[in-house]
Amino acid sequence: MSNDTIIKLDGVSVSFWQNNVGVYSIKDLIVKRKSPFKSKTILDDINVEIRKGQSMGIVGRNGSGKSTLLRTIAGVIKPSKGKVTVNGTFAPILAIGAGLELELTGYENISMLLSLYGTLTDNKKTAIERISEFSELKDEVLRMPVKQYSSGMVARLAFSISLANDSDILIIDEVLAVGDQGFQAKCMEKIYDIRSKGKTILFVSHFPDDVLKICDTAILLEGGKLTHYGAAKEICENYRQLF
Amino acid sequence: MLYVTSGLIFWFFFSNSTSQSVSSIISSSGLLKALNIPAFFFPLSEVLGELFNLFLTFMVFLILMNWAGLVYDFRLLLIIPCALLFSIFIYGLNLLLSSINVFFRDVGIIWGTIQPALFFLTPIAYPEKNIKADYRTFIENNPIYFFIKLGRGIFYYSEAPPLSLWISCTIIAFSMFLIGQFVFNRLKNQFISAI
Repeated sequence: MSNDTIIKLDGVSVSFWQNNVGVYSIKDLIVKRKSPFKSKTILDDINVEIRKGQSMGIVGRNGSGKSTLLRTIAGVIKPSKGKVTVNGTFAPILAIGAGLELELTGYENISMLLSLYGTLTDNKKTAIERISEFSELKDEVLRMPVKQYSSGMVARLAFSISLANDSDILIIDEVLAVGDQGFQAKCMEKIYDIRSKGKTILFVSHFPDDVLKICDTAILLEGGKLTHYGAAKEICENYRQLF
Repeated sequence: MLYVTSGLIFWFFFSNSTSQSVSSIISSSGLLKALNIPAFFFPLSEVLGELFNLFLTFMVFLILMNWAGLVYDFRLLLIIPCALLFSIFIYGLNLLLSSINVFFRDVGIIWGTIQPALFFLTPIAYPEKNIKADYRTFIENNPIYFFIKLGRGIFYYSEAPPLSLWISCTIIAFSMFLIGQFVFNRLKNQFISAI
């Protein structure tokens, strides 16, 4: 493993127990007399190496294992085979709404996630100010519980929080799709800014154009297998041919 | 009256923390999916929160007991190791219940019906000497009985409980903890897909 490798996946497979049809409770278990679980392979023998400062796009159909791959890299899911090596810190993966506590207000969510992640270099108060400024949400909005937010507002908050962390690896999982045009442009700018600082970006999207704008390399997942790996342009071409 | 209350304090500690923590892992699915945080924090936090509550109740109960003629004594401090042992037991049970509940969502409901049965199998609302010899085996196979007896011995009778009782409580607490830990470790890698 060379020095500037930041993420290395070595023959990583992830399989889950999946609930067998309709067995979700002990009642079902007794009444239906079926085995409750069967194993399902989500990711199959993935080998990737990501260098520092590289920005990689991940494309693929729905259910091809993109989010699972990101979660495996972030350590949320443990691989059942193979090894994941990471030399850096993460920003939380905030897909639309996930990770935010719906009952808490915007401010409470910000400070909770900041303290859970704990990768900040400056103090919390200025970080909260920076986040609320970037999200362009009004003070009164941030005082409301998150469950009353519109989906665009949730995406703004989620994205602002994950960008505020000074971590080495930024993971973006289809958050851009919800914000309005102005905010999308702002996010793109911020992402370029982060990339120019030499940080690593993992970007999942269904829009090949976005991938082309942000990433230099990309991978294509098909049914849990890594089928193509190479320059972003090539991979996006492959991705378009899928449909 | 005070006899019942001395048992009820521990019973509520037990029943509140277990019934709250049954759903603790599934209700924090958002956090678990987004951040790499160990899942055992959630059942643990329920126990610690209730443990804090328990000590607050102790304060009030001590005042009540003083009116009833209890003399403050250093032996009362034995309640701290007693409460800690009980929390280890409850934490083990919480790990077991909350991790199974991820896969079978009616564990909480079933646990809600088991609890009253456990309550009446434990000498809380009735004195221990009223139990007929035929039924003693039921009571003596009930793990909570030992903890209630230990706590009540310290609080109500203000005596130092016998060593044998301490030993059996320790064995029960740690074996429950190990069972819970074992089941939890077997299941924890599958949580993300199921919540």
